[in-house]
Amino acid sequence: MAEHDIPAGITPPSVPPGTPPVLQLVGISKYFPGVIANEDVSLDVRSGEILALLGENGAGKSTLMNVVTGIYQADAGEMILDGYGVQFSSPQEAIRAGIGMVHQHFRLVPAFTVAENIHLGWSETPKNASSAILEARTKELSERFGFPVTPSARVEDLSAGEQQRVEILRVLARKARLLILDEPTAVLTPTEARDLFRALRAFRAEGNAVIIISHKLDEVMEISDRVTILRGGRKIGTWKTTECSPRMLAATMVGREIVRQNLLLRSENAAPRGTVAELSLENVSVRDDRGVNTLADVTLNVFGGEILGIAGVAGNGQRELTEVLTGLTAPTRGQVLLGGSPAKSGAAAFARQGVGHIPQDRLHSALAPSLGITDNMALREYGQPPVGGDGLYRASAALALAREIADVAEVTIPDFAMPVRNLSGGNQQRLVARREIRIADRVLVAAYPSRGLDIGAIATMHRYFADLRDQGVGIVVVSEDLEELLNLSDRIGVLCHGRLMAVLDAVDADIERIGLLMGGRTEAPGAGMAAGQGADLS
Amino acid sequence: MMRFQRFPTAPARLVLAWRAAALVAAALIIGVLLALSGRNVFELAELVLKSTIGSRFGLEDLALFMTPLILTGSAVTVTSRIGLWNIGAEGQFYLGAIGAAGVGLYMPGSPLLVLPAMAIVAMLCGVAWIAVPTLARAWAGVNEIITTLLLNFVAGLLTYWLATGPWRDRVTGALASTGRIHVAIPEMWGVVHWGFPVALLIACGLAAIMTWTSWGYEVRISGANPGAARYAGMPMRARIIAVMLLSGALAALAGMFEVAGTVHRLQGGMADNFGYLGIVVAVLARRSCLAVIPAALLMALILDAGIVLQTQQLAATVVLAITGLVLLLIAIGDELAHYRPVAPAIRPATSSSRPEKKVTA
Ligand SMILES: Nc1ncnc2c1ncn2[C@@H]1O[C@H](COP(=O)(O)OP(=O)(O)OP(=O)(O)O)[C@@H](O)[C@H]1O
Ligand SMILES: [Mg+2]
Repeated sequence: MAEHDIPAGITPPSVPPGTPPVLQLVGISKYFPGVIANEDVSLDVRSGEILALLGENGAGKSTLMNVVTGIYQADAGEMILDGYGVQFSSPQEAIRAGIGMVHQHFRLVPAFTVAENIHLGWSETPKNASSAILEARTKELSERFGFPVTPSARVEDLSAGEQQRVEILRVLARKARLLILDEPTAVLTPTEARDLFRALRAFRAEGNAVIIISHKLDEVMEISDRVTILRGGRKIGTWKTTECSPRMLAATMVGREIVRQNLLLRSENAAPRGTVAELSLENVSVRDDRGVNTLADVTLNVFGGEILGIAGVAGNGQRELTEVLTGLTAPTRGQVLLGGSPAKSGAAAFARQGVGHIPQDRLHSALAPSLGITDNMALREYGQPPVGGDGLYRASAALALAREIADVAEVTIPDFAMPVRNLSGGNQQRLVARREIRIADRVLVAAYPSRGLDIGAIATMHRYFADLRDQGVGIVVVSEDLEELLNLSDRIGVLCHGRLMAVLDAVDADIERIGLLMGGRTEAPGAGMAAGQGADLS
Repeated sequence: MMRFQRFPTAPARLVLAWRAAALVAAALIIGVLLALSGRNVFELAELVLKSTIGSRFGLEDLALFMTPLILTGSAVTVTSRIGLWNIGAEGQFYLGAIGAAGVGLYMPGSPLLVLPAMAIVAMLCGVAWIAVPTLARAWAGVNEIITTLLLNFVAGLLTYWLATGPWRDRVTGALASTGRIHVAIPEMWGVVHWGFPVALLIACGLAAIMTWTSWGYEVRISGANPGAARYAGMPMRARIIAVMLLSGALAALAGMFEVAGTVHRLQGGMADNFGYLGIVVAVLARRSCLAVIPAALLMALILDAGIVLQTQQLAATVVLAITGLVLLLIAIGDELAHYRPVAPAIRPATSSSRPEKKVTA
């Protein structure tokens, strides 16, 4: 939606002078063993404004907001709500005072319906209400706040965007006046993100306040009124968004200028692009439990020394494609070839043969959140020396491995026995990426690799991909961000409804053409590329 | 004002401290209640101490109680490490006892041959008993808690039937019991048989396997997050099957030790809740195979003290209530171990932008 579509009433309302800020933080500090998560942070958010909170991975954004919502208690400093000092010892107290938060990792009960999740642990839930009553109430709430949800659907069957709407609705139903969103758009499609922003503007127009954490600077520029930046747990400053530019924000966040490199440029001694496919799919189809073809007749070659981008709106077969490419799912029909011969089945066999995998949902599929960092870093190499071998698991070697990965990933870790869920979202992602790059001798399959990463970390990760490519590894990058794909890829495949619409050479690709293919439009009839043939241009 | 906050993890040190406090609190409460009902608490306490840890006979009894508890506790603990619950240790215990008794009663030969045969057959019987719940879990995702639990009743009845029917004691005509088995696990210290050190070794061995082998690592990952195990291509189904069968074998071995070490016959009701108490031991051990040993010791102490109290004309229900109280307080202690003090909010001296505070909520 373009700016001029916004109705007049949706601009920030004017607030009478002298009104205290909705929330003011004064000198907040929060320490974890060996880590300064926040130190002396002061900020305020006023009614009728959207404040963006920016910072690198591990800068302390989530922690600060967890302090505000009573999940953590500050070690120093105070919180002033509407001019009155407050202390919350639980999220329930915070929401009673009108502060609601939607977390980086959702906290819904997957087996419950939307209506049940909305009413869970809420004082206004009618006693002994039937599911029909709960669903009717949910429907009414959903209409009132403008977040469409299906009350009777089970949360586990919902897309990320739908789950997020449930989370937000849950908070708004409890009469939140300050809504805190931790990286809300990381898992949304561009359309879902636009819908979210429209709803946030409407929320702001009623004199409410929003704090939004995001790594996507374009979005920050679009949605926020002011920006506060944290670095290393400390506040760097607060600016009016109109006085900022993405470039200035990035430089302030990281503390240095981020130079954009031309990643398509290969280094001098780069390995040449392979002529035999390292990994290929031949007429591969995947059928799900309900008998729907989630991947239909896909033929695709991944060559060494190239980056193959996969574009498409989320939910069009990306998950299945990455699972087939990494051996997690066996195709219902068709064949997977690894290094020219039929691949041994199973994710472990693929990993042993040099296929790395950065999956879509790291915390829940690539990590065991409750186990220590050491155990998590050994996940790919526990079977071979030095960690494994002879059926043993050598904890000291695993620790050395974890240290090595953390070093190259540039994540400082105070205690390797600490559960990996204590790390910041971006740091978890960095560790997974490095762990997978280590084993990817042949192919690396990366699904939405930059989700949750700060700008600097994205640049670093892209550099890794380019280096890996120059070493002769084939890289598949699944992303919704077409700009990211165009900056990186040698070729770009487009998925729509489980079909590979086309594979374009990056030089011939532009955003418009890819956009049409993503929408299911086939190439012009004369081009000879019928939909689903998976024509391979190389 | 000092504030306490609940943390998702509880450090072992705090758990230990709170449990010690729970035990002290339990002793105090029980003491006061007994005193109120007109008993001489100090005499009773002295008696309990003397007949548990204060005398040779007490210690022997403790070791005898601990042996099956370590094994059934380990049986439940190994499944809990992969995120499952074997509630059927009681039934597998019976099957182990049946297998051991069958061999012991009818296989002639020297103890050197018969005893190992008893152990092997017992474990095979336990494995067979848990096989159906295992396969149902591994292939059909059927909840193992219910299937293993239901089989306990079948196993209990089967034991009664054998002991009073086909295998009944035709010599002395004892009720609900087979004849005496001609071989026995040799005794090492008073009535304590060699099953006790073997059980200790097994617990240590399991701990080593879980910590130091790649198999144990896979079990750990599968238990912590099945999604990650799938992602890494771990053979989850094979691990579930192996762990559950191992669990059945461990509980069955407890049954074999009882038959060949202390009871010397198959008897209806001989499992004496050791299988269910194994669940309590596992909960106390908090998924650690090594911690099963002290947990079993605590459980044995409680059982032993209960028996002493019963000899002092305390009703069995009172003893049961005392056991419940101890376990309840320990559970509360475990929960409290999640709470740690957090520093009160201190106003920083440096801040100058702070507005006037009107009211403190
Ligand atoms: N419960 C905890 N125990 C120990 N350390 C923690 C805990 N929670 C957070 N930390 C540490 O505090 C620091 C700040 O983490 P936080 O999650 O606030 O970062 P963030 O700014 O949200 O980063 P990201 O953009 O990656 O999500 C990190 O170094 C993290 O490892
Ligand atoms: Mg965060």
